Amino acid sequence: MDALSAVLQGLPMTIMLTLSAFSIGIVGAVPLAVGLSSSNILVRLASRLFVDLVRGVPIIVWLFLLKFGIQIGTFKFNPVGAAIVGLGVVSIAYLAEIYRGGLQSVPRGQGEAAHALGLTGGTTFYGVMVPQAFRIVSPSIATYLTGLLKDSSIASTIIVTEMVFQSQAFARQHPTVEGILPYIMVGILYIALSLPVAYLSRRLDSRMRKAVSV
Amino acid sequence: MTLSEIADGKLAPRLGIKLDNISKRYGEHTVLDDVSLHVEPGTVTALIGPSGAGKSTFLRCINLLERPDSGTIQVDQHTIEPGKDVNSRDLAALRRTVGMVFQSFNLFPHMSALKNISFPQQKVLGRSKEEADERSRQLLERVGLKEKADQHPGKCSGGQQQRIAIARALALDPAIMLFDEPTSALDPEVGLEVLAVMRELAADGMTMIVVTHEMHFARDVSDTLVVMADCKIIEQGDPRAIMSDPQEARTRRFLRAVLER
Repeated sequence: MDALSAVLQGLPMTIMLTLSAFSIGIVGAVPLAVGLSSSNILVRLASRLFVDLVRGVPIIVWLFLLKFGIQIGTFKFNPVGAAIVGLGVVSIAYLAEIYRGGLQSVPRGQGEAAHALGLTGGTTFYGVMVPQAFRIVSPSIATYLTGLLKDSSIASTIIVTEMVFQSQAFARQHPTVEGILPYIMVGILYIALSLPVAYLSRRLDSRMRKAVSV
Repeated sequence: MTLSEIADGKLAPRLGIKLDNISKRYGEHTVLDDVSLHVEPGTVTALIGPSGAGKSTFLRCINLLERPDSGTIQVDQHTIEPGKDVNSRDLAALRRTVGMVFQSFNLFPHMSALKNISFPQQKVLGRSKEEADERSRQLLERVGLKEKADQHPGKCSGGQQQRIAIARALALDPAIMLFDEPTSALDPEVGLEVLAVMRELAADGMTMIVVTHEMHFARDVSDTLVVMADCKIIEQGDPRAIMSDPQEARTRRFLRAVLER
């Protein structure tokens, strides 16, 4: 069971990385989604450019750029910092696109009704559009979260001591058949972590569907 | 208590509205060509005409859901020139004065019927939740849907949703109500319950402008019948007079199509 305990050592880091990047993404994607659906063409273009740029480059490249390519004065990213910022920014871009899709799929009449009632732009956005958009996109957000959980393993390449890094370390020290064990375990662990997210999101989704069933 | 007394609280003053020289173009395509309409306080105006005539667009110009390219809108001492910049205070005043009911109801699906009616009161009029809920329940009772207060719109029939939407608009004490084909999305029988509420509202003296294909409603309830075709008002006046003896050939053709089918 040495393999398991080795892999488990990386578990807190994997969870911390995933949740930090996810939190950055969930919040940071809001203004970007607004930018993506802005009526100002410059704002829209700038937001679109940012999203396409971030999504167009593989995560591993971003992590290497952040870890080894950035030096401002004496400041350099440590591995964990680079991983959180990298995965966070990528999350912002992906989630903004998901939000935008959700906002656009709210029927146009909803905004019109809100305007006709005299609700302000802010109230219309946060009280009418966002709650409906959230219901539409919550399954996609959950899917993204499980994807991010697995993508956090890429941080092993810049020496962040998460689960895959620990598996590799163990495998290197045990170059026999035993070396394959940690990878099996880490696979099972990822599945075990994903399942509750998928389960919760399905329950949340069906509950909200029942509540609003259109 | 009548429907609009509940709506008005302390019987808000009746207001009319004057629209002058409203024009609207989408690119090269003209939708409204210099349309003027004066609506007297406490009257019901029915807008009829073939589809594509610009009826709905005209109605949506009244509360600036569509922004006309030129013209003036006068209501309650506010004069708005939509072709120029409209300041947000005038816009807010306009939207407070004018309530609107849509063909597709547009209730907020994530809120209960009660919250649909209370939420705008709290946000726009600054009423407390208790005040707003009380007013909402009164209005729901008047439109015959007291028992639906805690249901979400998805659980209500189309006719019920439309009546909730009417209550939602009335809750903000509008002086003028716009109806954009309020029964077109409903089964004929279900439409009746909506028309009944509208008749009651008209009888109470609410100023109403109604785009409709319901010819009986237009004839029996409206004070003024306005016929639109080809981006213009082609005829207006007493509904019975126009329906029995239209002056314009285009009106005659349209009425023949809708009345003699």
